[in-house]
Amino acid sequence: MKLLPLYLIESVAFLLIIAETYVFFIFVVPLGSIPHTLTEYTSLALLKVFLILVLGAVWFFVLDELTGLYVRSKVGSSPRPSS
Amino acid sequence: MFSWILQGGLLLLAFFVPLVLLLAAFPPFLRYLARIGHVSDDAHKSPPTKVPEPAGPLLFIAILAGELTVAAGYGSYVPLALVAGAGIAFAIGLADDLYVLGGKTKPLLLLLAGVGFVSFVFVRPEIYTSDLSFPLLGDTSPHFIIFTVLAIVAFPVVTNAFNMMDAFNGEISWFTLLTSLALLAGVVLHEVYRGGFSMSRVASVLPLVAVATGFLVYNRYPARAFDGDSGSLMFGAMFAGIAITGGVEVAAMIAMVPAILNSFYTLSSVRGFVERRKMSSRPTFIGSDGLLHASVEKDAPNTLVRLVLLASPLTEKDLVKSIVKLVAVACAFSVGISVLTWVL
Repeated sequence: MKLLPLYLIESVAFLLIIAETYVFFIFVVPLGSIPHTLTEYTSLALLKVFLILVLGAVWFFVLDELTGLYVRSKVGSSPRPSS
Repeated sequence: MFSWILQGGLLLLAFFVPLVLLLAAFPPFLRYLARIGHVSDDAHKSPPTKVPEPAGPLLFIAILAGELTVAAGYGSYVPLALVAGAGIAFAIGLADDLYVLGGKTKPLLLLLAGVGFVSFVFVRPEIYTSDLSFPLLGDTSPHFIIFTVLAIVAFPVVTNAFNMMDAFNGEISWFTLLTSLALLAGVVLHEVYRGGFSMSRVASVLPLVAVATGFLVYNRYPARAFDGDSGSLMFGAMFAGIAITGGVEVAAMIAMVPAILNSFYTLSSVRGFVERRKMSSRPTFIGSDGLLHASVEKDAPNTLVRLVLLASPLTEKDLVKSIVKLVAVACAFSVGISVLTWVL
């Protein structure tokens, strides 16, 4: 049971990978109409790269916050043993 | 009928050739390492004990023997591509074991392992398909250039993740064994349900499973051998290669979640690539009670081990048990993903 918070963090990491994959395929990949000019093509590609970075940032932010919450709760409550 | 018996016999050989070779050669190899002074402190014992290191060369020879058996038996190029990537990662790891490479040099050099692996696709295009398969969503369209670039980049990422799971007795051997079994399940399901069953792709996973099993005998608590970076980077390269040739990249990523989290925690808390020997403060320490404790210092790096120890101080044996439980859960998720992708 002591590992329960870590199982939860692991499960959130797993679910985020699956959910973000879904978002990527359903929303990001089909985004925009077929580009006709190089400018349109470049803009669309850059937009998709930006959205992928946003998905990565969301994964990073959520896990960083969850881990920070876990560490703060444990560090605040644990005594300092002698090394 | 005869063909199936032959194919089954080759599967057994792919598993038992590396396993028997490894178990037979380990005792004399460890005596040799001890005789020439290649021993390291087992830092988590109080007082530290001396353990022969690196066992990586023997692990690589065993993998090589297994993969060459598969290549010769099935006439397949897949095992050759796997040992090309693993061999380069092993050589870089051995250089790191002997001379200590920098925190940024190693990942850059490990790109070469990816290059060595993908170079085989120019000789044999069937080695991998350049698409990804996702559960319920299906396949992406094939993009050879993008996929190949990602495959090359995957090698330093995966090998470093394996390397960072190599800190305690039995940790890397358990991690490699469980994740390779998850990969084996994924590859079998992929081959059965995708059509055009390729026994050689299934067989090429078995040497990794066999070597991880054999190494566990010597690496589990109390460890009688350490693999060194030559072993852990080679394990990671084999894993990455199998994930790509087996078409189970997503399941492999899920099985690696504990290692991904471990790398993510470390990179985000030390803000970049830092060689572990050069970290300013340690994530854990041995207390006066003989147990491993999480450091409560503010600048201590957030490794997965530190997070486990924050729950409670543990013996090294119990700590590895906890990590194995986390890895086992991720591997169960991975097998679930393989079922969702290939069966449903």
